[in-house]
Amino acid sequence: MSPVRRGETLPIYNRIRVLRAERGLSRAQLAELVEVNPQTVGALERGDHYPSLDLAFRICDVFGLPVEAVFSRTEFTPLSTELYKPRKEA
Amino acid sequence: MSTASLIDRYEHYRTRRFLENEKLTSGWLPNWRTQHRRRILAGTVVALIGAMFVTAVASYFTIMVSLVWLPVVLAFLPAWTCLQIVSGRQSDAPRHALDEREIAERNSARSIGLSVAQGLLMIPIFALLWSPAIDSIDHRALAYSAGGFVLASILFSGCLPAVLLAWTRPDDDPEDLL
Repeated sequence: MSPVRRGETLPIYNRIRVLRAERGLSRAQLAELVEVNPQTVGALERGDHYPSLDLAFRICDVFGLPVEAVFSRTEFTPLSTELYKPRKEA
Repeated sequence: MSTASLIDRYEHYRTRRFLENEKLTSGWLPNWRTQHRRRILAGTVVALIGAMFVTAVASYFTIMVSLVWLPVVLAFLPAWTCLQIVSGRQSDAPRHALDEREIAERNSARSIGLSVAQGLLMIPIFALLWSPAIDSIDHRALAYSAGGFVLASILFSGCLPAVLLAWTRPDDDPEDLL
């Protein structure tokens, strides 16, 4: 669900599931920290709901990461691939 | 006291009461909280309100049909109460008790309910506006019939948001409950 009034709805991808698993948080725990229902965390992870800026900042605060590390217009590659990808310039 | 603070105080009171009630009823009817069973309840509510519409129209021809209202309302009340319990009363919850996704869903369902109300209420309104020009109509019976139709329309459009939310909400993901 997008807050955009008109025009094409652009996707917002997120890394919530991976970051949550990395920190050992359940959906219910994350939901409590950002003050939403656990079903809403599930909807965010599935891409059924796009968060408001306020909710996006709350989620980023929990993980201690900037917004662009958690949300993106393009699909995320696996974190491990990004971490260990060969550096061409080296 | 300003109007804003009065509304805020009332909203907080409503929210507090809603959360207390939700705490009380959240464990009720656990087997009826699946999407399939919620749809059965939603279908029952719609069918009973449909019976009210039929009764309202039929009462124009035979006033005795109005007695059917009584059993229909008696069946409607428990069905509606159960539907509200298993769907968490999202459709009429105060905004402070819902998160942004739930508010968006609720607003969408309420908007449909309002549109349906406007459409349905046009029928008895125009029937009552035009009927004085036609002498062959039983005006007294029409007034009763239109009144019943208005009642059924208000009930239907008022219940529609809850019906839509109960119908469309998916089953809880087991991971949500961990």
